[in-house]
Amino acid sequence: MTRVSIEVNGTVEELDVPPRLLLADLLRDRLGLTGTKIGCAMGACGACTVLLDGAPVRACLMFSVQANGRSVRTIENLANEAGELHPLQRALREHHGLQCGYCTPGILMAIAPLLESGQPLEPDAVREAIAGNLCRCTGYDTIVDAVVEASRP
Amino acid sequence: MNDWPLYAQRRWAGKRVQRLEDPGMLTGATTYVTDVRLPRMLELAFIRSPAPNARIVSIDDEGARSVPGVRAVLGPEDLSHVHPTMDFVELDGALKTPRVTLPGDRVRYVGEPLAAVVGDDRYAAEDGADAVIVALEPLDDHEPIHDGIPGDRYFGQAAAYGDVDATFARAEHVVRRRLAFQRVVTSAIETCGIVADYDAAGEELTCYLSTQMPHLARAALAEALGLPVSHVRVICPAMGGAFGGKEVMLPEYLCAAAAAIRLRRPVRWVEDRSEALTAGAHGKEAGAELEAAFDGDGRLRAIRSRFVSDTGAYSSGIGAYVEFMVAAFTVPGLYRLDGYAYDTGGIVSHKAPLSPFRGVGMTTSQTVREVLVDDAARALGIDRMELRRRNLVADGPWQTVLGEHYEPGSWRTAFERALELIDYESFLERQAAARTDGRLLGVGVSPFVEAAGLGSAGGAGGLPGTSHDNATVSIDLSGRITVALPTFSHGQGHRTTAAQLVADMFAVAPEDVRVLDGDTARTPFGMGTFGSRSGVFIAGTVSGAGRIVRDKLLRVAEVLLEAAYEDLELVDGTVGVRGAPSRRIPLAALSGAAHFAPHVRAELGDPTLTATAFFDPPRPTHSNGTIAAVVEVDPGTGGVKIERIVVVEDCGTMLNPTIVEGQIRGGVAQGVGLALLERYVYDGAGQPQTTTLAEYLLPRATDLPTIEIEHLETPSENGTAGIKGMAEGPASATPAAVVCAVFDAIAPHSDAIHELPLRPETIAAALATP
Repeated sequence: MTRVSIEVNGTVEELDVPPRLLLADLLRDRLGLTGTKIGCAMGACGACTVLLDGAPVRACLMFSVQANGRSVRTIENLANEAGELHPLQRALREHHGLQCGYCTPGILMAIAPLLESGQPLEPDAVREAIAGNLCRCTGYDTIVDAVVEASRP
Repeated sequence: MNDWPLYAQRRWAGKRVQRLEDPGMLTGATTYVTDVRLPRMLELAFIRSPAPNARIVSIDDEGARSVPGVRAVLGPEDLSHVHPTMDFVELDGALKTPRVTLPGDRVRYVGEPLAAVVGDDRYAAEDGADAVIVALEPLDDHEPIHDGIPGDRYFGQAAAYGDVDATFARAEHVVRRRLAFQRVVTSAIETCGIVADYDAAGEELTCYLSTQMPHLARAALAEALGLPVSHVRVICPAMGGAFGGKEVMLPEYLCAAAAAIRLRRPVRWVEDRSEALTAGAHGKEAGAELEAAFDGDGRLRAIRSRFVSDTGAYSSGIGAYVEFMVAAFTVPGLYRLDGYAYDTGGIVSHKAPLSPFRGVGMTTSQTVREVLVDDAARALGIDRMELRRRNLVADGPWQTVLGEHYEPGSWRTAFERALELIDYESFLERQAAARTDGRLLGVGVSPFVEAAGLGSAGGAGGLPGTSHDNATVSIDLSGRITVALPTFSHGQGHRTTAAQLVADMFAVAPEDVRVLDGDTARTPFGMGTFGSRSGVFIAGTVSGAGRIVRDKLLRVAEVLLEAAYEDLELVDGTVGVRGAPSRRIPLAALSGAAHFAPHVRAELGDPTLTATAFFDPPRPTHSNGTIAAVVEVDPGTGGVKIERIVVVEDCGTMLNPTIVEGQIRGGVAQGVGLALLERYVYDGAGQPQTTTLAEYLLPRATDLPTIEIEHLETPSENGTAGIKGMAEGPASATPAAVVCAVFDAIAPHSDAIHELPLRPETIAAALATP
């Protein structure tokens, strides 16, 4: 067991973890944050994307110990404290950018930092940006539309 | 059937209502099967066969038992009380392939479960699995895969409609096409899983389970485990996609359930992606051959088809049969034929068992037929679209050469509209100009019909069909309405569409309707969600149950308002007297009176504000449409870029056009994957070669263009409220559009291609042929 200290969604968590425990499993099994999904456990589908110090990473490709001393933000923390949806969450709903919803947390966490730059995004750039996230339901169009709209001031 | 007069209003049905299920999914709050965690829960991992065909010499689990965190190892003898599973197809001459949960004698495919280890967590269970030593002795490939199935062909059927041989003998042109449709994997982003929990006091087994059909899964679990159905509960809280891949009772589920009963602790198994790709829900593999007889003027007179589907080591559920039977039965499609003959069948092999996959059977028949029509046009020197015009069915009802009655559809209108949207004539000019620059452009057009909402009146592909579906509508003391569905939504948005229907029936808002599904303890018996059936069955059952409860409400109001029944109306969550706005009673007060007011109860006799109604459609519904694709092929690499995809879709009355469009887009994307990317590969020794998502290629956002959609609306005669089932048509018709477009771009080199998908190397090799 290794002692780690990880800030998760603004709260510092002190945990004893086996060195091989994946960050995705720590979030889901130890902290009960099951909003982070696992689709392939090898970095190919993007369902487990979380923010590590503000940048998107695959939580299935990281050991928990690698997150020691760093901050992790998950889907549970994307809406604000009052429970109001993030503009990207709202846009995804308005455009029907989700069906089964399983890939949705990963897509939201992959795209959210991109929006914070404040630059309007063009459809092709959005397609490139979500090309690391697999969705089997939507055909991506409505996700692209949602992100483009959310990126406009 | 027109049930709309029963509805108080048409305010929500048909509108683009935002989905009620979305907020939980967008915030990570929705609990999926693989998110379920129970106190004292253990996890299970499998030891799987590394060999495709071998005798099991021994399974030594001694080492595993001493691995830290391992709680139990289950081998074949521990599961011997579990009854084998078998397909439930009843056809003359069908040979069965009973499946033992953990076979003790031999293995038949790579990935077949041999034993299971239960540990404190998945890490411990996998450590244990690594410590199990299995000795296998390779078996001779000439031995039958199953006893009693010589030649490995477990079912075959041939039939002819019309005088096919004479028509071919008279034909001026006979065109043939052979095409192998590849094996693919359904690949829902959430893999399969189960959390099994046995309550020893109540003798009840509760399984949180990935399934499209909770009630049928409940019955299958009970049957296999020897429990009364009453003592089994299946819950599917939410599910991350299925596409046909979550219909079969898996041996993995039975193992986990048996382990939970034995250990008296909850046991969880979640399929990892490599398990899903190696031994999960594969689909679609079929070899197809078509030949068509044409007159000199391009009239298509008859078709002969031959399908052989390699459906893997076992025929499970209904999946294997639907692949090759539906393929054979859907060849006529929207073409007028005097004669049709098929010869279709399935063989077992040392591959993973085939599961249904969206557009089952239809995808193969549609693709090979449309490719054949294009081949014929080129052979006859007739424009490809003109040849279709000469042979497509006219709008309206139609009876196929097989005797199937299509309800009215916009068959030709959809086709012509797709050509307009794609601007076919201008495209031909652009294509010719591009050719002179060495650029290869192509267009493909795929008109389709989709039979859906299959009930007892018609099974798919000539298979015996039956169904049993109910919904329950209740009004509680708060005046809110709860509807429990026979279906199970896993992306299709039923929480929203069912609420839209109920809201209009009772003149409330969709938010005031609670929709329940995915739990056998909270829903009446129903078949679940598959085969584009849910819209038809939700509307039918909900209309039926709602009508009874609505009648009761009006009778309560009749007593309280002392007004005539026919003068009453439902408005804004109240019942009132028509033309007297001051005399209205809210649903909550009506419900309270039905529950507790003695004079109301006496008047009503049975005051229960709950009703369950059964529905079985008189005939299938038939939605239709046309997909058109424009592509450019790179003459050097053989790579394909899709420039446009246009969809014209007609599914009758739409409950929610946004959700319909979602089904179209998702289906088209899967179709593009089948046409260009996805293929599951076994090497010559039966070893899987595409066991990760790095080798098995699913469509990504950059692989797809914007999908352009236009609706037509020919209301159903068979579905309640004009609704036609849809969701598989666009998926199954898209590969034909894309393949025909690529073949158009590279013609005549397309004659050298006999297999899908159209990978760059396949196309480049064809372009290199003389």
